[in-house]
Amino acid sequence: MNGEQSTPRAACAGCQHAPKWRTDFPIEWEGDHYVSRREMVKFLTLGSLLLASANWITIVASRMLHTRVYPEKMIAPVSAVDQQSSFLFRYPTVKDPCIAVRTPTGKLVAYSQVCTHLSCAVIYDQAANKLFCPCHSGSFNIVQGEPIGGPPTRRLPRILLEQRGDLLFAIGVEV
Amino acid sequence: MSVRTEGTTLFTAILILVACGVVVQLWLLTVSMEALLANQRTTLLPAALGSSLLLLINAGLLRYVFRFDHEVQRTRQE
Repeated sequence: MNGEQSTPRAACAGCQHAPKWRTDFPIEWEGDHYVSRREMVKFLTLGSLLLASANWITIVASRMLHTRVYPEKMIAPVSAVDQQSSFLFRYPTVKDPCIAVRTPTGKLVAYSQVCTHLSCAVIYDQAANKLFCPCHSGSFNIVQGEPIGGPPTRRLPRILLEQRGDLLFAIGVEV
Repeated sequence: MSVRTEGTTLFTAILILVACGVVVQLWLLTVSMEALLANQRTTLLPAALGSSLLLLINAGLLRYVFRFDHEVQRTRQE
């Protein structure tokens, strides 16, 4: 051990007086850092390639996602949605909960019931005339579905409605 | 200062630059995802172009690292 300590620090691996560990592990700190930085740059550039690809994938996804054709579906008789009350239905599939609301002005509007923050179900707050998410106190304007309070930043997808006689049909989704 | 020490300093600087580029790309991707969900198509193309530009810069820096390494090895062999 004493022999090892007395060896000059800069002793090379091939030198005659180099300790045994130095011949077994002939890597300098400087060389180690040099390689690990280079490897890290390679790794980050690969990550950069993946991120750029993901950005282009969003463009492709956007074209596929928002050109979807929605079916027409009868959701309820018009009389089922009374003045200033709400009515729950599912559109376009049974996995997509929606809420239809009759505004104080008498207009019938419908939105996806899935909060754009963390996907909790929004409910109609009749007193405040807004759609309210009880999970994080997010709230949405009843006329446009725009976020007016709490954490949500995107508006609720709007369900396009059409009245045919006494029946109410959902005919599309406006994201 | 030895070439290797110079290289280590240089690679540290390049590493920081590339890391900053990747962070900006991450931010661009989150913006794109938000825009995708909100159907704001006008945001998607500029974000993808910006991300690709950063990729080119990062790839250029990586190429420089390889060329520097190659130069060092060639000098040693000579």
